Amino acid sequence: MLSYALLVHAAPYSEQGALSALRFAQAAVAQGHRVSSVFFYRDGVHNASTLMAPPQDEVHLAEGWRALAQEHGTELLVCIAASLRRGLMNAEEGVRHGREAHNLEPPFVLTGLGQLVDAMQANDRVITFAP
Amino acid sequence: MMLHLLNRSPQFDGLYWDLSEAFGADDHLLLIEDACYAALPAAAASLAAFGGRVSVLSEDAESRGLLGRLSDDVALVDMAGFVALTATFPHSLSWF
Amino acid sequence: MQDDEAALAADTPIAPLDLLVILRHPPHGSSWLREGVDVALVAAAFGQSVGLLFQGDGVFALVEGQRAGPLGQKGTHAQLAMLEMYDIERLWVSASALRARGLTPADLMLPVQLLEADALERLVHAQPHTLLF
Repeated sequence: MLSYALLVHAAPYSEQGALSALRFAQAAVAQGHRVSSVFFYRDGVHNASTLMAPPQDEVHLAEGWRALAQEHGTELLVCIAASLRRGLMNAEEGVRHGREAHNLEPPFVLTGLGQLVDAMQANDRVITFAP
Repeated sequence: MMLHLLNRSPQFDGLYWDLSEAFGADDHLLLIEDACYAALPAAAASLAAFGGRVSVLSEDAESRGLLGRLSDDVALVDMAGFVALTATFPHSLSWF
Repeated sequence: MQDDEAALAADTPIAPLDLLVILRHPPHGSSWLREGVDVALVAAAFGQSVGLLFQGDGVFALVEGQRAGPLGQKGTHAQLAMLEMYDIERLWVSASALRARGLTPADLMLPVQLLEADALERLVHAQPHTLLF
């Protein structure tokens, strides 16, 4: 059994990369590996949007990620700098920036790039999924 | 020993060139997403640098209508095989 | 410190770093370069030894004479000028990428080590952690 960290740069639905990452994560845990964390960077941060509402006949990526967190304890880490630039914020950041809404909630967690550096050191494998 | 993941079609020839520079004798290349098109016989030149150490993700090839059209030199792996490759090779590097 | 002109000799050992960041994208047109350098800077700030490899259009990141674009588009030249402050001093450049773009080390804003394909392959394989942007 190995521990994996995934790095996701791909935006949901625009590119296959986000879907590939979720498929890979599901296959890895099915084989008994641990997917300790998924770090969302660049346009990958949009995977974390609470407001994601795909048509019913399409996979719901955010729900897929949430299920991974709930069922397998995977940390869903979202780069805060990449998120704020792109208009993604949790309740705390919403207040801090004086906004009436927020669109990122647990189990997605806003965090810094230091967590990516830590995840690289802490896991046996780091796999990148890009657009 | 390194596993290289590639997701762009052979029309990105600069990407294939950069990958070939980093590709070592014990390395393996896995074609995913649009890189599946590199597994067509007509695209053989784009894979020439990788010495036959190339696989393609079967579900991505299948969804693109490529099963039955693929070069014999490229091995098919399913998603479980993709995970197994990342476990076998201590390092993975994604090219995009 | 580094030899600007000659490519790394085939038998020169390459020491592993904590992190190698490969940069393949040019400045301004996308944020790949900026967000890749950000990772390198953060890793270095966390005390890791970090090196950068410029490949493909990534070599344009080093071209002398860059400036901010309109609407305050920052570019990355200022960020790269800070590398030394973060102790990121190992900068490698694909020799073929530079040649293919009609550039020489004299066109670049920082001293670099050129790598031919065999040395580039050895560099990548010597590293425990590599990220590509």
